[in-house]
Amino acid sequence: MPAHSIFESFLAGQGYALFEYLGDGDFHLLGEWPDWCAAIWGAQPNRDQLIGLADKSAFLENFLVDAEEFWRAHLPGSVNSGNWIERGVDDKEIPLEASARSIDGKRILLIQNLSETFGQQQKWFQTARNSLLEHEKLLKEIQKKEILLHCIVHDLTQPLSAMNGVFHLLGGENLPGALRKYLKAGEREAQRQELMIRGILEAFSGDLAAQQARETGADEAPDLLACAKQALEEFSPAFRERHIRLVLGPHAAGSRGWRVGGDASRIDRIFGNLLENAMRYAPPGTSVTIGLQDQDGFVFAFVDDEGPGLPPDQRPDQLFALFSKGKSHAGKAGLGLYFCKITVERWGGAIGAETRERGGSRFWFRLPRAAQTAQGNAAAAAPGKSVNKEKPHTNKKAEKSLRILVAEDTELNRDLIIELLKKRGHVAEGVADGRQALAALEKQDFDVVLLDEEMPGITGRQTAAAIRRREAGTGKHQIVIGISGHATQDDENRFREAGMDASLAKPVEVKTLYQAVEAAARNLHPGAADSQRATDHNVVTASGAAPRNTSANSAADALGNSPADSEDVVTHLRRTTGGNDKLIRSLAAAFLADAPKALSRIRRAVAKKNAAELGSAAHLLKGSLAIFGAPNAVAAARNLEALGRTDRLREASQALRALESEFALLQHELRAIHSVSRVKIESRPKAKPGPKRKPAR
Amino acid sequence: MLQKKVCMLGSFSVGKSSLLRRFVENMFDEQYHTSIGVKVDKKVVNVSGKDLALVLWDIYGEDAFQKMRMSYLRGMHGYVLVVDGTRRQTLDDALALNERVVSEIGKVPALLALNKFDLSDQWEIEQARETQLTAAGWTIAHTSAKTGDAVEKAFLHLAQLMLAP
Repeated sequence: MPAHSIFESFLAGQGYALFEYLGDGDFHLLGEWPDWCAAIWGAQPNRDQLIGLADKSAFLENFLVDAEEFWRAHLPGSVNSGNWIERGVDDKEIPLEASARSIDGKRILLIQNLSETFGQQQKWFQTARNSLLEHEKLLKEIQKKEILLHCIVHDLTQPLSAMNGVFHLLGGENLPGALRKYLKAGEREAQRQELMIRGILEAFSGDLAAQQARETGADEAPDLLACAKQALEEFSPAFRERHIRLVLGPHAAGSRGWRVGGDASRIDRIFGNLLENAMRYAPPGTSVTIGLQDQDGFVFAFVDDEGPGLPPDQRPDQLFALFSKGKSHAGKAGLGLYFCKITVERWGGAIGAETRERGGSRFWFRLPRAAQTAQGNAAAAAPGKSVNKEKPHTNKKAEKSLRILVAEDTELNRDLIIELLKKRGHVAEGVADGRQALAALEKQDFDVVLLDEEMPGITGRQTAAAIRRREAGTGKHQIVIGISGHATQDDENRFREAGMDASLAKPVEVKTLYQAVEAAARNLHPGAADSQRATDHNVVTASGAAPRNTSANSAADALGNSPADSEDVVTHLRRTTGGNDKLIRSLAAAFLADAPKALSRIRRAVAKKNAAELGSAAHLLKGSLAIFGAPNAVAAARNLEALGRTDRLREASQALRALESEFALLQHELRAIHSVSRVKIESRPKAKPGPKRKPAR
Repeated sequence: MLQKKVCMLGSFSVGKSSLLRRFVENMFDEQYHTSIGVKVDKKVVNVSGKDLALVLWDIYGEDAFQKMRMSYLRGMHGYVLVVDGTRRQTLDDALALNERVVSEIGKVPALLALNKFDLSDQWEIEQARETQLTAAGWTIAHTSAKTGDAVEKAFLHLAQLMLAP
């Protein structure tokens, strides 16, 4: 057999058909006419017969345009058609691919039958696309569940808001001792329910905040020992009620400290969950111990009880599974330990439980240490955090009575909010939906509008947007505060986008309600209600929504123009706290612990020329400084904030020096306050009347 | 006989092949078989008393694995942009594809088939969106390859559009 015949047979055997293009859509067969060609295009043509492939196949006719272009251009290599399918005479589908190339000046078309490999290729694509479809379906299911969950959570928070409000109103009545005890129990259970609802949100929402917290700078890393002490303080009364001793065990006070990667508020909750768990199982008369140990790059924390130990039929890891409950079912939804597990693991730590050799159980968790640079810093509480823990003066009347419109579709909640606001001395009216709110605003003015997010007809956000549209170009700014059942960052962002000034989370706490309403209104009427100024920072920080008023009207900015400019820090604090020395000391302590970190953040931002960070850090510190009056320090911080926001970093170093100098003065005065213990804090007479400092702007 | 080239365009698994199968063979397969090549079919329809041969190009759905070759659209007289009404994303993808087609080929008669209309309980295309699309000039057909609803009508409508002067 001649060599070319062998080659032609080989090509045909490999599934190829070889043609030479002669022009006008006509081809000449070069090799054999494979069976699949016969199946598609009929019997083999004669050797010299022209084959009109373009007429036989619409696909090839289209490809021929590309092929002719390729041949005309005398390009090297080949051009191929991609896969297509022809149907054979027996209706069988035959996958093909054509390629055009030039050989010895001849225009060659090679068509390959892909039947052998096509099946496998199709299988891969099928698998991949099925997976994509499954993935899409799964995402949809998750979304549906999240929506359902949020609806459930919303419904759960409704009665809780009502309960909290009722308890608060009852607390203001002159109740006999026994009833007061029941009231306390009711309040406690409502708080537990609130924690459970939050637990559900945490566990299901896929919130990445915890992960992000791990990525925050080492300077903000929480101190595990401080968290443990705080947990001890918070839980001791409950343990005492059950006749269980709660103690902090010995811990090595090593120079490395106890700072870990994570977020202080979540660590508080982890300790809280572990202690609640211990409280359920520890018998009266025994002790529960919180302890910390240093473990190569980790801090190991544990809660030991002297109860029955772990259930023998349950693996320790099962205790941390979703909806897992102890055998006695003493726990609630089975979310607490699951929350601990996902949180600790997100931070690169571990969690576990074991039965102790001497009896009882140990629940432990381990978190990676934060970078060493953070160790020397002061306590980890965020600015305003300690202030938040102070008991609010919720029974005091507000200094200025405000007109407040409450839009809330649940009648009981609406009535309660109105009642609470009236008790505070405000004038409040209620409407049941957004349309009624808009109608009420047309008839009369209100200082503040509270809008529930989910109302029939138009939602709270739509109502807020409508209010903003109406006032566009008028120069007016209605204070609008949203109330959300979810309180996630997304909710806050959505509220802000809709034009709301601040947001409140359900269940609405009395203290937060008063703070939000009065702080927002004060921004509208600078100089009014100065006595509440100390709480401004809390509301803004808590809601994450800074007032949207003009800077001239913002709470901290207003301080510089306050008639009380000339008063010293103590006079200012005595006036703003109503002479509450405990609160004053607490404010001073919080500032001394937290504000230096805020100042360090500003220094870093200036050094790194990070304008956005400078604006944000200076804004935060400005809020803290405003609590103490300190107009010069506030002005210095405001100046830095403006420099950061407008990206004018050249002047930042000088402005920073001005702030540092004012900061040091305030720090000195607050240290003096902080060192006074259990005696009445008095204004100190000024040593000598020095030259009045100019504001640092 | 007059011939018109019609292409089926859209994401994967929106039902392009199923719509053609229903139209050409009046058949439907519950099982999803992904297309990885081009298949060309033909069907003669009668429009206003005249026979018209539709050369129907079933082009594989575009995704991360396969990009569509614009050369397949050469000589196209019209196209059906197919969307899975139960997957909102496929509408966005289809409209993005449409932009590429228009910029490459120019404006030719087209029809938007919102397919799988039998799965109305899972429908994700809001009425407002449809109104918007209609206002933008789209002819929308709510098709179901499974039940055959509106399939023939959609192709006939496109045929009329292609024959319109």
